[in-house]
Amino acid sequence: MTAYNRNTLVVGIAIALVVGGVLSYLRSESPDGLEKTQEHLGVAEPASGTVEPPPSIFQDYNLKVLGGGFWANAAGGAIGCLVVMGLLLGVGSILGRARRARKPPRTTAE
Amino acid sequence: MHIGSGFLSPPVWGAMAAVSGACVAGSLALAGRRLDERKVPLMGVMGAFVFAAQMVNFSIPFVPGTSGHLGGGLLLGVLLGAPLGIIVMASILVVQALVYQDGGIEALGANIFTMGILACLLGALVRPLWTRPRPGRMADIITFAAGVVGLVASATLVILMMWWSGSVPRGVSLLEALGAMDGVHFLIGVVEGLASVAVVRFVLSMRREAVLGIDAPAPDPAKEAAR
Repeated sequence: MTAYNRNTLVVGIAIALVVGGVLSYLRSESPDGLEKTQEHLGVAEPASGTVEPPPSIFQDYNLKVLGGGFWANAAGGAIGCLVVMGLLLGVGSILGRARRARKPPRTTAE
Repeated sequence: MHIGSGFLSPPVWGAMAAVSGACVAGSLALAGRRLDERKVPLMGVMGAFVFAAQMVNFSIPFVPGTSGHLGGGLLLGVLLGAPLGIIVMASILVVQALVYQDGGIEALGANIFTMGILACLLGALVRPLWTRPRPGRMADIITFAAGVVGLVASATLVILMMWWSGSVPRGVSLLEALGAMDGVHFLIGVVEGLASVAVVRFVLSMRREAVLGIDAPAPDPAKEAAR
């Protein structure tokens, strides 16, 4: 990996972790715009027959085993950032490989 | 603005899943065709950043007891272009729905469309303003406006989908529902617009080459020779 790409990753994930792991602890607990609008308009809570989400180790982005304090939120945010980044780096590398396979580079230096 | 489970009827969520699925598939095909290597780490960290930013619910001025959070699709569309932006946004929403129970599983297509595809396409429309050598005040203003317009458009679509699904109570008129939803999201859109401009400016200042990618003008041959 080039130094340029390594720096993108290191600095970028550091910023994301600060936002998702630290700054997010200060988030407002109020319902968001859609939830509030649904409440205001009297949209009924969905009845049975809705799709059950898979069981989760998170509750409101807090890692459940750590309770609900700063560290539970920090772990919830950090894990999410890393999962999303990992998923996208995987997709990106597959896309890159597919492109190289279709159009082989002129030099064999790589 | 994640639609939860049970608010959309099968025809509505089915149609949205089909449209979004086709858009994501198209994006994967398009992105693979011209992918700059420097964009892969950028899309990874931008995905992590937008996921993180969406966690930060802020109080909305003038509307007590209500919060908003960034969408982030607009800034992804500007920085990565539509196909990669849509891939990033879809990945975030999939993780939120499957891992964090944020947004209904069957509503995933609808959520990808409103928060991802719509916003990323808008961002891609604005992108040429930023890939010029010196983006000026006009880029700021139009991007800010796109943030407001995009969020209100998404909010409108969310209400329309709930309306078609029969989730909005009978006593409530469509206009009333739209007024409530769009009023709040206009204010969130102002924050979305400001934040999008700030993030786009910051990332461009740090990683212009990766943002431009293969759209960048060819390097100056004289400078290349001097290396």
